[in-house]
Amino acid sequence: MTGFMKNKLILFCICLVSLFLCRDGHVDAKKAVISDETVICLQCHSKQGVVFRFHNGETLSVYVNTDEYRMSVHNFLGCPDCHRGFSVDKHPKRRFRSRKQYKLQASLICRRCHKNDEIASKPIHASLLAEEKKGRSPVCADCHGAHSVMPVTGGKIFISEKKYCMGCHEYELDLTFKNGEHLLLKTDASALARSVHNKLGCSDCHYGFSSEDHPERKFRSMRDYSIASSDTCKRCHFDKYTKTEEGVHCAELNKGNINAPVCTDCHGSHAITRIRDKRTLIVKRCRNCHREIYEIYSKSVHGSALLIDANQDVPVCIDCHKAHDIGNPLTLVYREQIPEMCANCHANRLVMDKYGLSTDVVKSYLSDFHGITLGFYKKQRRMLDKPGRQIAVCTDCHGTHNIVSTRGVDIKELKAKLVKRCRKCHENVTGNFPDAWLSHYEPGIRKAPLVFLVNLFYKIFIPLMIAGLVLQIVLHIWRYIINR
Amino acid sequence: MNDIRDEKIRRFSNYRIIEHWVLLITFIILVLTGLSQKFYYLAVSQWFILRIGGIDSLRYVHHYTALVFLSLVTVHVIVAVSGIVFKKWRPSMVITGKDFTDAADNIKYYIGMKDHPAACDRYNYKQKFEYWVVLMGAIVMIASGLVLWFPVFATQFLPGEIIPVAKVLHSNEALLIFLIIAIWHIYNAIFSPEVFPLDTSIFTGYISRERMISEHPLELERMEGTDTGERGADIGVDGIEAKS
Ligand code: HEM
Ligand code: HEM
Repeated sequence: MTGFMKNKLILFCICLVSLFLCRDGHVDAKKAVISDETVICLQCHSKQGVVFRFHNGETLSVYVNTDEYRMSVHNFLGCPDCHRGFSVDKHPKRRFRSRKQYKLQASLICRRCHKNDEIASKPIHASLLAEEKKGRSPVCADCHGAHSVMPVTGGKIFISEKKYCMGCHEYELDLTFKNGEHLLLKTDASALARSVHNKLGCSDCHYGFSSEDHPERKFRSMRDYSIASSDTCKRCHFDKYTKTEEGVHCAELNKGNINAPVCTDCHGSHAITRIRDKRTLIVKRCRNCHREIYEIYSKSVHGSALLIDANQDVPVCIDCHKAHDIGNPLTLVYREQIPEMCANCHANRLVMDKYGLSTDVVKSYLSDFHGITLGFYKKQRRMLDKPGRQIAVCTDCHGTHNIVSTRGVDIKELKAKLVKRCRKCHENVTGNFPDAWLSHYEPGIRKAPLVFLVNLFYKIFIPLMIAGLVLQIVLHIWRYIINR
Repeated sequence: MNDIRDEKIRRFSNYRIIEHWVLLITFIILVLTGLSQKFYYLAVSQWFILRIGGIDSLRYVHHYTALVFLSLVTVHVIVAVSGIVFKKWRPSMVITGKDFTDAADNIKYYIGMKDHPAACDRYNYKQKFEYWVVLMGAIVMIASGLVLWFPVFATQFLPGEIIPVAKVLHSNEALLIFLIIAIWHIYNAIFSPEVFPLDTSIFTGYISRERMISEHPLELERMEGTDTGERGADIGVDGIEAKS
């Protein structure tokens, strides 16, 4: 056995023994003898429902949990030790303005034994004492509890870290930035409990802070603080973080535009909820900055369905632009992906059937001149590193944020608009030109009859012709073989 | 017997030889660059198109080869028409009633209802069929191809629907001529037992007396009957002897 192993073994034994000792300690605590006087107090105070009423109407239950008290570090103390002036035969009537005032008074009881220089050795207490000098007194029981103060052995004094932090942060604390802005440090515990992060402790996000440490940090402004705080998200959501790095918002931020949104601007902070299925919220988030586009979108088929009918099938901003790796929508690469984006829904029968829309629109685009060309441009980019040129995609005719339904629109009006769209690439085209495109229709006897008939003719003629020629060839060979 | 196989008779002038070469090359290029667009979804087409350097390069090749093809056809038509009008060439490619009876007779011969094949003149009905398929096809391809190439121009005079019509015409006609040439012409010029492994007449300009006797007896008769042995001397630019 090496010396190292030996050391380890000894360490292990010590741990084991101390564990036993601790347990014994607990057993002792439970067995702690409660003084007769205390037993008399508890006759009333172990009953639920007895309340003390403050001057301002607030109430406080005077119930004491006997079990917790027995387990507490103060189980050797009798009631009058803390509650001076009270005894078996004295129960003075006292008045307090409010619950808060009462708690502050009660804290002084603790300080009778726990002197300032003793408690100041813990940094968290030191900072609270500093606060006290400024007039904001801490309440011991907020963190430690009153009748249930637990032993420090084992490290955990508090039932939860959250309770500990909320001891201060449920009050209207206030942080002042260098530029004079203020941030309320009050945290809404109920919102926190409803958030997706309700299983996390405070220090999981606010790293560096704990019951031991409460570093003082200085930020120039509220915005700087938000940007810095967002950094914490990447510790868990690293995938999203790297995606965001590819996005325009991050690029803006890196350029020095501090108004570019960071995680918390869209997701919030303590009240983060899942917004995946609250699509209206997503749109509203983007509106914070992109107001004009929101106005246009809200009038489109997609936007009005979402905002008026709360339709969850329609695309919201992030369906096309993505949420984190938002690209520049004016690039060729982005343009090449547009038909796919539209196809996500418009080629999905399950969705389209609900609205009586055809799923053939994507196919008819992709098998026509523009669509085929686009397909090759995409392949070229991938395989030859040779990007194509700008070519018409869905949005060039239908628009982007302003897409409207073509149902019931006057055909002439529609065509007139279409010519303008064609002219973006095909200069000086006449009004006839848009008819070159069969508007997503399959040629039929009613729609584009000439196209349909020519196709039909060849469909019949080609096989007949080929069959005739092959037959002649076969006969010719047969004759040759017979003649030999 | 050997001498009629060895004896060569002039059949095509150099102009025809060059014309056929140009046709052959442009046609193959147009078919490759055209049909790969028609069947764009096939793996071979995609491989080919990317090989050429992408869809734009492919179309570039198609368009400029089409220009050569267009010039060839135009020159051919001008030469043929003016040859017949001014130089009094025999209109040997014109389809006549005899071609239909020849075709019927030949089929009867194949199935054993006659004991010889039809006696043909300079071009038999198969060759005439091919010629007209290519010529008419070329006109359709050129007309529809130009509409597709210059759609903005075309719709200044014609309704917009002309573009998809031109597209289906061009696309289907391309497939039709391609199949006819690939099956019928290639069989007749390469795989037919009479000419296998290759009918060299359009490349060398000469054909054997043996084949003249069996395939173009009427032409041979006219040639031998009128001249004194100097065959080919009065062969016009078309390879068609001038009517003297
Ligand atoms: C024998 C000759 C030709 C063949 C076999 C041929 C074949 C084809 C085929 C199969 C297509 C694709 C149609 C589709 O997508 O369904 C095509 C497209 C096209 N062809 Fe031709 N073609 C020929 C001659 C011409 C000529 C003479 C022109 C022009 C004067 C032309 C111009 C075009 C144009 C403009 C297109 C549309 C696509 C593009 O811009 O390349 N073609 N051709
Ligand atoms: C490997 C390819 C080819 C070979 C070996 C070939 C061979 C020939 C031969 C030997 C002739 C003369 C027939 C005669 O004695 O009158 C001929 C004529 C002709 N060829 Fe080709 N040819 C080829 C490809 C093509 C192609 C691609 C076309 C274009 C569409 C074409 C169009 C014609 C036409 C229109 C004629 C005149 C009509 C006829 O004689 O059939 N040929 N070819």
